[in-house]
This record gives sequence, structure tokens and C-alpha cells, in this order.
Amino acid sequence: MLSKLLKIGIVCPYSWDTPGGVGNHVRDLAEYLIAQGHDVSVLAPASEDAILPSYVVNAGKPISIPYNGAVARILFGPVAYSRVRNWIAEGNFDLLHLHEPAIPSISLLACWAAEGPMVGTFHAAAKHQKIIFAIGPILEPAIEKLSARIAVSEAARLTLTDHLDTDAVVIPNGIYASRYTHGSPQSKWQGNTIGFIGRFEESRKGLRVLIDALPVISRFAPDVKVFVAGPGDPEEAIKSIDPQLRARFEFLGKISESDKADFMTSVALYVAPNTGGESFGIIVAEALAGGACVVASDIPAFDDLLGHGQYGALFESENSTELAKVIIDLLRNQDKRIELAKSGKDHAQLFDWSVVAEQIYSVYEMAMVGGSKVRVAQDSRSWSRFLSREEKP
Amino acid sequence: MRYLVPTVFFALFVIWYLTFLARRLDRLHLRVDNSWANLDVLLQKRASVALEIAHSDIADPASSLLLTGAAYQARDASIQHRSNAESGLSGALGLLLEDSRHLATAADSQLLTELSALTDKIRVAIAIHTDAVSRSQMLRRKYVVRTFRLAGNAPLPVTYEFEADVL
Repeated sequence: MLSKLLKIGIVCPYSWDTPGGVGNHVRDLAEYLIAQGHDVSVLAPASEDAILPSYVVNAGKPISIPYNGAVARILFGPVAYSRVRNWIAEGNFDLLHLHEPAIPSISLLACWAAEGPMVGTFHAAAKHQKIIFAIGPILEPAIEKLSARIAVSEAARLTLTDHLDTDAVVIPNGIYASRYTHGSPQSKWQGNTIGFIGRFEESRKGLRVLIDALPVISRFAPDVKVFVAGPGDPEEAIKSIDPQLRARFEFLGKISESDKADFMTSVALYVAPNTGGESFGIIVAEALAGGACVVASDIPAFDDLLGHGQYGALFESENSTELAKVIIDLLRNQDKRIELAKSGKDHAQLFDWSVVAEQIYSVYEMAMVGGSKVRVAQDSRSWSRFLSREEKP
Repeated sequence: MRYLVPTVFFALFVIWYLTFLARRLDRLHLRVDNSWANLDVLLQKRASVALEIAHSDIADPASSLLLTGAAYQARDASIQHRSNAESGLSGALGLLLEDSRHLATAADSQLLTELSALTDKIRVAIAIHTDAVSRSQMLRRKYVVRTFRLAGNAPLPVTYEFEADVL
């Protein structure tokens, strides 16, 4: 149904070389649109020696600041601003798609510098983002320029209505569901096994909660094994585990996409004990698509994603006793596990790129009504003329 | 003389701020116009799909009559009566689709899929339009905007009351 071929500019606020939710989303979306025949250019910060795909334009070297419980690698400043402006001026885009424009990075700069059809996608969901509160009045005129807003989850939409007083269309993050549906079960991961994928060193990923739940679980299921996959140094985590239970844990390091599919199909349970800071939960959607029976904390994003428990089991966030109870219950009840996994797998088709990109494209179409192209904003132009006059002498 | 420089700066700032506000307002009005145009097109399309449905086998004569009436009303309604008429059409479609989904033949079910795709789009279009309208209403309420009549002669955008649940 994607009919007219467009020239689309996408701005990613976070560094391209550090993988993250937003970056992956931008990459997948860009590649999907390119596969449909559109001309896509992505502007993203990246270090100078980074190897970038041909569609990515480097906006400069990012700086690291702590944000939302993680380290964000973003970019702003006058040099970045002029690069953004040049990219817009030379791009001759039909439409700009700005990701996370409420964060002080190049998406916001692009929103400032451009005029015309613009779509913004808001990923973050946090109850009290004081920073956004404080700079709300400054952000407002910029955010206002977006022709349409997308929020990746109900939680992200609420954050937006609370802080910026503006509504958004909810379109979930996309996954390539088909990549996960054909995993083959691996015997090394089967049995009474629990899977966990993520940067386990970050406390908000909640590995701690799972570790605390294990003593109880192992009493009822003595042969239980936990597989932890994801980048990071396991030393610290292993030290914090009860020595008697250390043998129950196995750290796999970062695993490939195809391994991930096998992993999701094999493990008895996939556990997502995240304590917060999660807006959509792409990994949970992938686990569902892979046919895993999911147990997740009841933070808003997961509650929403799992249909309030319809497509996976929920437990009270940060409550390891309850997590243990839910896990034991499911390990004992294979029928229930299979049933949950099946309904989850069907549900995950909704997040496939073929569905999601279609929805995003229809928002593009609506943003482009009026027929004008993206250009450098009038006020920003006169401002820069003023600046360059100052610089000349 | 001592106050001259600050006064000039202050005056410049005020002028800058006023033009800045006016430009913001202008952009918002454009957004309202565009999003309305978009919504309008989608609603027109829906009315014609509704007419097609009315003439197909899905509708019995009574609901066909109801639907045709509602569709024409929605098409011809003036701007003030528009949302009422569209809600009427939503209601008529809702009534019909409630109990006819299982009756539809292949050709008819294509019509129904078309309608549901259109409905999804309309829902998004309404959200976009409502947001643009409420933003500009918010800005128009500002004291400065009213005092300096920055909006000029542009009419205050009206909220489009649309019962999205009926869709």
C-alpha cells in the first residue's frame, strides 16, 4: 500500500555506535522504508571513526550525560546546529521524522531549524521528568511545529500529555516478527529454564529482582537454570549471587539475532523484571514473537504490552517474592505456559514492521497534506544571517 | 540618556517577541487548516464508502435507507452541522456493522475492510486535528496575543466534536 515514493529525513538523537532502543528503532524503520523504495537519510551523532551504513549522515561526536537511569550519548551546540541546518537545506526532504524531540539533542535542533511537514516520535516514558518540566516553556514553540506526534506506548503518551500538554497517536515500536518465529529449540536451553536478555549491569533492567527470587524458586524447582544474555561484565553480578546458587546461573554474553530466536523458543520462561524507565519493551515483544512464555513486572509499559496479563504473566514490580510465586506456578503448569506463549505469539504480529510501518506511513501522509516541502525555517535563517554579519569583521 | 540603550534593547526585544508569537500563531493556523483538509477528505471518502455499502447486499432496505440518508447529510452538511452529521453517519454504520459482519460475502467484505482502514485513518486524523486546534486556542488565549491582535482576522479554530468511540 506504500504508494508514493518520498524523500524522508530521519533524525536520531542518540549516538549511532551505541545500540539502544531508539537507535534500533530508527535503523529498522529506515531500512524498512528503503526496502519499500523510499529515499531515506538518517542524521545521527557518531564518533568520527564509526563505520556507518550509507544512509546515515554523521552529525558529530556525541557527549555522554546521565539521563533517565542510563547514560545518554547526545549532541548539541552551535556546530551541531549548523550541521543540522545544512543537512535540512541540502536534503530537499518531503518530510522530517524526528525521534525524541523533547530531549536536548539534534532532533530538537532540527525541529527548531526546519519548517514544513514534520512528524515527531516520543519514546521516553517517565513519571516525573523534571528537566522537561523546567524547560517546557522553551520546548513548546518547537514541539508545536510538529505536524503530527507519535508515542510508542500508552505510557509515553501519558508522559507527553502530562508534561507538554499535547496529544499523540500511539503506534508501537516495530520488530521483525518473522525473524523470531522460526527459531529452533536448543536442548541446552530447554528444561526448567529461565531466560533474561538485557544490559544486566543497569539496575533498572532488574536482574537483581530475579536473583533475589531464585532461592525460593530453587527450593521448589531444584533443577532450575537461569540464562542471562546481554553485553556486560558478569563478575559483579556473580559476586552478588548466593554462592550455593551460582551454578544455577549462566552468563552467555551478547548473543546474535538468530541465537535470540532459538533462545526464546527454547527457554521455559522469559523473565523481564525491569523496574522502570522502560517505555515500550521491545525485548518483550521479541520474546512474544519468539514464542516464549513471558513473565514481566507490572510497570505501565509491560502491563500495556501484555494486555494486562492476557499475553504473559505479570508480577508486582521489584517484588521478588511474588516473582518467585509466579515463576513456580508457571514452571509447574505446562499447559498454562503453552497457552500464554501461544496467545502472546499471535499478539506479537501486531508489532511486526509490516503493520507498524504502514501506520507510520499513514501518519506521514497526513503530515504532508498541504503539499509543501521541508525547508529551513524563516526565523532561523534571519538569525543566522544576523550571526554571520557579526562574524565577518 | 542613560536609559536610552536599555530602552532600545527592550523595545527590540518586544518587537522580536511579538513577531515570534505571530509566526507561531501563523504556523498553528496553517496546521489547523491542513489537518482539517486532511480530515475532510477522509470523511468524504467514508461517506462515499458508506453509500456503496448502502447499495450493496450487506444492507437490508431499511438500514440502506438510513445509511443513504446519513451519508448524504454528512456530505452536504455545513461546517456547523458537520460534526453532528458525521456522528450520525458513524452511528448508522455502527448499527449496521454490528450484526452484518458475519453475513458479508467476499466482495462486500472488501468494502468493510476498506471502511475499517479508513476508520483507523480518521481516528488518527481527528487526534492530529484536535491537537492543532487546542494548541492554537491555547495560544490565542494569551493576553499578549489578544491585546496586540496578533491573530489578525483569522477566525478562532473550533474543536471538532467527534465521538471516536462510535467509529
